[in-house]
Amino acid sequence: MKKSAVAAKTSPQNPQKNAIHKTPFQKIEPYLYITPALILFCCFVFFPFAKTLFLSLHSTTPKGEISKFVGFSNFTSLLTSEAFRNSLFVTVKYSLMVVFFSIAAGFITGVLANEKIPGTGLFRTIYSLPMAISSAAASIIFIFVFHPSIGILNYLLGTDIGWLISDKWALFSVVMVTVWMNIGLNFIFILAALQSVPPELYESASLEGAGFFRKHLSITLPCISPTLFFLLIINVINSFQSFAQINLMTKGGPGQSTYVIVYSIYQEAFFNNRFGLACAESVILFFIILALTLVQFRLEKKVTY
Amino acid sequence: MKLKRTLAAVLAAAMTLSMAGCGGGGNSSSGSSTGGSESGTTEIVFWHAMGGVMGEQVDLMIKNFNESQDKVHVTAQYQGKYDDELTKLKSAMTDGSGSGPDIVQVYDIGSKFMVDSGYIVPVEDFIAADESFNKEDIEPNLVSYYSVDGKQYAMPFNSSTPLLYYNKDAFKEAGLDPEKAPETFAQVLEYAEKLTKKDGDKVTQYGFSMAIYGWFFEQLIAVQGEFYADNNNGRTANATKVVFDENGAGLNVVQTWKDLVDSGFVGNFGRNTDDTRNAFIAGRTAMYLDSTAQLASVIKGVGGRFEIGTGNMPRIGEKEDGGVIIGGGSLWIIDNKDEARKNAAWEFVKYASSPEAQAAWMQGTGYFATNVKSYEIESMKTYLEENPNFTTAINQLHNTPTNEFTSGALLGVFPEARAKFEENMELVLMGQQTPEDCIKNVATAVNAAITNYNETTETAK
Repeated sequence: MKKSAVAAKTSPQNPQKNAIHKTPFQKIEPYLYITPALILFCCFVFFPFAKTLFLSLHSTTPKGEISKFVGFSNFTSLLTSEAFRNSLFVTVKYSLMVVFFSIAAGFITGVLANEKIPGTGLFRTIYSLPMAISSAAASIIFIFVFHPSIGILNYLLGTDIGWLISDKWALFSVVMVTVWMNIGLNFIFILAALQSVPPELYESASLEGAGFFRKHLSITLPCISPTLFFLLIINVINSFQSFAQINLMTKGGPGQSTYVIVYSIYQEAFFNNRFGLACAESVILFFIILALTLVQFRLEKKVTY
Repeated sequence: MKLKRTLAAVLAAAMTLSMAGCGGGGNSSSGSSTGGSESGTTEIVFWHAMGGVMGEQVDLMIKNFNESQDKVHVTAQYQGKYDDELTKLKSAMTDGSGSGPDIVQVYDIGSKFMVDSGYIVPVEDFIAADESFNKEDIEPNLVSYYSVDGKQYAMPFNSSTPLLYYNKDAFKEAGLDPEKAPETFAQVLEYAEKLTKKDGDKVTQYGFSMAIYGWFFEQLIAVQGEFYADNNNGRTANATKVVFDENGAGLNVVQTWKDLVDSGFVGNFGRNTDDTRNAFIAGRTAMYLDSTAQLASVIKGVGGRFEIGTGNMPRIGEKEDGGVIIGGGSLWIIDNKDEARKNAAWEFVKYASSPEAQAAWMQGTGYFATNVKSYEIESMKTYLEENPNFTTAINQLHNTPTNEFTSGALLGVFPEARAKFEENMELVLMGQQTPEDCIKNVATAVNAAITNYNETTETAK
């Protein structure tokens, strides 16, 4: 940024001046380039977005057609409903755990695979493998792992826990599956960031007598913090949108202990046929994610690189 | 810079929202079917929800139909599970693109929605105009389930009832008669105690288990000879509320269920019916409840490691006029304003419920044949003699009186009602809710849903 500013000052020709002499075609040319992308965005993002906003103010028939305008009553009934507050609470709990464990696991595997030990290539492949597995396939595998009587987890631990059917464990179990699925992506990003940390820093730290943990704490973490920040945003958004594993593994249960908000939206829209209410929930989710993202961008400025 | 970032954040969040909106848009990718006039063949599209072993059997049936004549050509399209299929149907029917199917298979609890939807032509219209079709050939219980005010709306296709599956080897080992399945839930508990095996504190084989599945709740109310909803299960007029909370039938079910699980001899493997089925196949539970439709899959899964027995759905209570309700799905003919295609659709529906097609379907899946003449076919008689488990469901149905209790409820909000029941039943089994509160909470939630359903369908008319 600074360099270009200097360049602009020292450049003999002022680019602003050139703009005046542009032909009409030159003026619209840039817009033509973004038109295809814009059209795609309009079709697949802005139009559904507008429709969702519109539907959230209506009640709908079981066929999904608009029944009547109801103003904000979808929102008021949601915000006063205990089930909805519970699903918000569950979502927050779920996201906190997923984001923390996912990034921590990605960091640990990244640091390990970055060490110069024999077989690093193999470990790197293994650590990034979960990324290649769809969440639906992973859920099905873990249903068998978690099965109370034929599952391998209870067999290995010698326990008799209903991982997915006890309210004490269900959320934790789903979190673990999600973390497992997230590790691959987090690992790759963190490993890439680790490899761009200048080795001189570690060398001089070694000269100063810093140990393994000290080096990672004082050098690695600050150096890769932009990547960590990026992963934080991605992981938060992803975790708020987790659906397949909930739908396949617990269906929101037992009770409502894993009833996250996206599952609740699905349930309202496609099971209970209340599309208006489902859209209102989506709008609330939109504002929550928007707020979170803005807060995170604020925080980013305070992170020192 | 700041504005750009804010915008980026808004966009990122908007992406998340757009997924919900897509539900209305729909992605029906069916080849819109127009009558291929040159060869005189009418092309029609059939949407179904049969995966796995059942899907293969559907494809086989379609192939046989297409080869048997040259007037109609059916293309089958698997549209995912019943719920997904219904969602796709809604968007295909409302977006006006005409991309919907000509025939659609809908699950039992979607019947009320289909009747109210205005998407379809009742099959009764075709039956009345077609001399070659004999309505008496179809099982009367099935006809009564899919009839409203004496008019048959859909053609039963894949019909099932719940059965008690049991492990005959485990019965022998426990000193029980392997040819006698328990008939009441009191007996189930007695048997379960004898069948339970323990290794220290850990149960290695439960005596019995049943998935937390709303279908069983509905069945067990009908078995008691009681109504689920008012207006005689929504048959004389639209249901306005549930009545299982008032007649005590609901509480009986929940209390019985809780007592079973609390005994320690009955395993709970959660809501997913697959998990309970897998536990049975793995020998971790000696008896369990499941649909007869799973019979072929279970036999394949067990693979001869032990002998499988099937018995009737155990009873709660003593009333004589109770019994099981049929489950499964039926075929609906879509009103696409094209006479040629509607008639072609009827030709296929007629074929799918013919004695031969239904006999093959029964042997391939476990769903019982809907056509009474299927059982007169020689090869079918031999097959059933060799595989008596396939006859349990149909015998159970024949022993069930045809009345309003066993015709099942017509309710537009059944999927939601099931989910509400399952959620609250889990709380009971975890000891966080009394059976009384469970029934109260389910009834309140379902009543609110019914009110909402009736209001929105009323204003739309």
